[in-house]
Amino acid sequence: MPIQLNTPVLQVQNLSISYGEFQAVKSVSFVVNTGEIFGLLGPNGAGKTSTLSAIEGLLKPDAGKIVIADYDIKEKPLQARANVGVQFQSTGFQSELSVTEIIRLFAGIYAVEMDKPKTDKLLSAIKLEAEANKRFGQLSGGQQQRVSLAIAMIHNPLLLLLDEPTTGLDPQSRRQLWERMENLREKGHGVLLTTHSMEEAEAVCDRIAIIDHGKILSIDTPEAIIQNNKDNPEVIKASRKGKITLEDVFIGLTGTAIRS
Amino acid sequence: MCLLGSPGLQFAHKNSTMENKIPSTNSAISTLLQADFRTQWRNRRAVIMIIIVPVFILISWKGLVEKYGGAFALSNAITIGLTAIGLMGYSNAIARDRDKGVFQRLRVAPVPAWTIMMSRLAVQLTLIMITTTAVFVAGFYYDKISLDMSGYILGLLAAFAGGAMYLGLGQAIAGMINNAETVNSTTRLVYFFFIMIGMFGGLGVLGKEIGELVKWSPYGTVAHILASSMKPSTWDMESTMSLLLTAGYATIFSSMGIKWFKWSSAR
Repeated sequence: MPIQLNTPVLQVQNLSISYGEFQAVKSVSFVVNTGEIFGLLGPNGAGKTSTLSAIEGLLKPDAGKIVIADYDIKEKPLQARANVGVQFQSTGFQSELSVTEIIRLFAGIYAVEMDKPKTDKLLSAIKLEAEANKRFGQLSGGQQQRVSLAIAMIHNPLLLLLDEPTTGLDPQSRRQLWERMENLREKGHGVLLTTHSMEEAEAVCDRIAIIDHGKILSIDTPEAIIQNNKDNPEVIKASRKGKITLEDVFIGLTGTAIRS
Repeated sequence: MCLLGSPGLQFAHKNSTMENKIPSTNSAISTLLQADFRTQWRNRRAVIMIIIVPVFILISWKGLVEKYGGAFALSNAITIGLTAIGLMGYSNAIARDRDKGVFQRLRVAPVPAWTIMMSRLAVQLTLIMITTTAVFVAGFYYDKISLDMSGYILGLLAAFAGGAMYLGLGQAIAGMINNAETVNSTTRLVYFFFIMIGMFGGLGVLGKEIGELVKWSPYGTVAHILASSMKPSTWDMESTMSLLLTAGYATIFSSMGIKWFKWSSAR
């Protein structure tokens, strides 16, 4: 039976996160549906990573509710996590373990049966058959990224969280990753990704949220966001080629100051 | 299972029959243990250093065995091994994995966080057992040190108690310091300090006052309970005090380590 499309797979309601006196996320709310790629865009320090960390269960929010596949992460954290796949910016595996051993480790902790044919099939899908017994630390950056995505998807999660997944990838690898994301969307998975790349957001995201200073400034499809903000004087000022782009809207809404 | 999609996967509502599963705690621990033992095994050079240094010191101390007794030599050699496990092995491993994001990757999986640390500690306890056994064997074959069976068993138990204290100290250092390289250099310094002051202070080479300080230091108390456990007939009030102090140090260091430990150095 296919995944039911357009059903909320992630619901974030009034999420607030502080670090001491500093409020990083201020009452943020959004929904990611099945069969949707949702992009969270914002400059450095806008609150993207904090929001993502709270969804991953790595950070305890001050207030708000996060529901993943009908499981409140406070009440049923393990059930919620069982339905989420996560790909971090840093790959995060023991460099001493081989690719096959990493696959077995994560298959075990996600309760996925993984015999040799299944492992081979997975290795073939990420085109790492020849590197099966290579240690993770010996792989190239692109190969490590592929292992990371395979592990994020090893349990077929309904929701996939990708934290700046194409950072550092060459154009070929980036395109390949976009195709994989689109493929997941077609199968009905929900994808939440953070990115600094407006090109990426426009190319793959069905909806995006622009976040800054812990607040969502705009949330809609990329086209609608451009349309709704095209007459904003700050956006027009940010425009460089006459035609308003998503980047112009982003700069117009978040300012030109460089963030640390 | 399919990387690029999920034919047959149903939306994981609570009533769904195809919901993603949560592993049993036993299964999760078993999987983590396999990976952690494998990782430790791949770091053989570090393991060999942890085992070889105390054995080498024991063998080179042959002359002192007659002067101070076999239990004294064994206890000091094991204490050096325990110091290396807690300070050089464990703390550096957790600081390095934290830096790489290994813990964060495991924590987003549907396993309780305590299973991740328990697996790590189980590997270290095994290492304590192997080091202690290696020292006993080396003592028997090279220095002809023979203990009663109760001495070996109680000695091993005392090694676990002392090891817990040093693992706690390693955890505290990794808790206080976020950067893996700083943890590495700090633990090396503390290790060197403990070994030099502990060993020579315990022998009385550094004077009476330092000797007294060393006796009640983490190094001295662990060495003392080890020596007394290996010869149970010599267990006295001072041994009990050393045991209590070891437990106290272990509690303080572990509490500091747990309180200050951050799973990630990045966020």
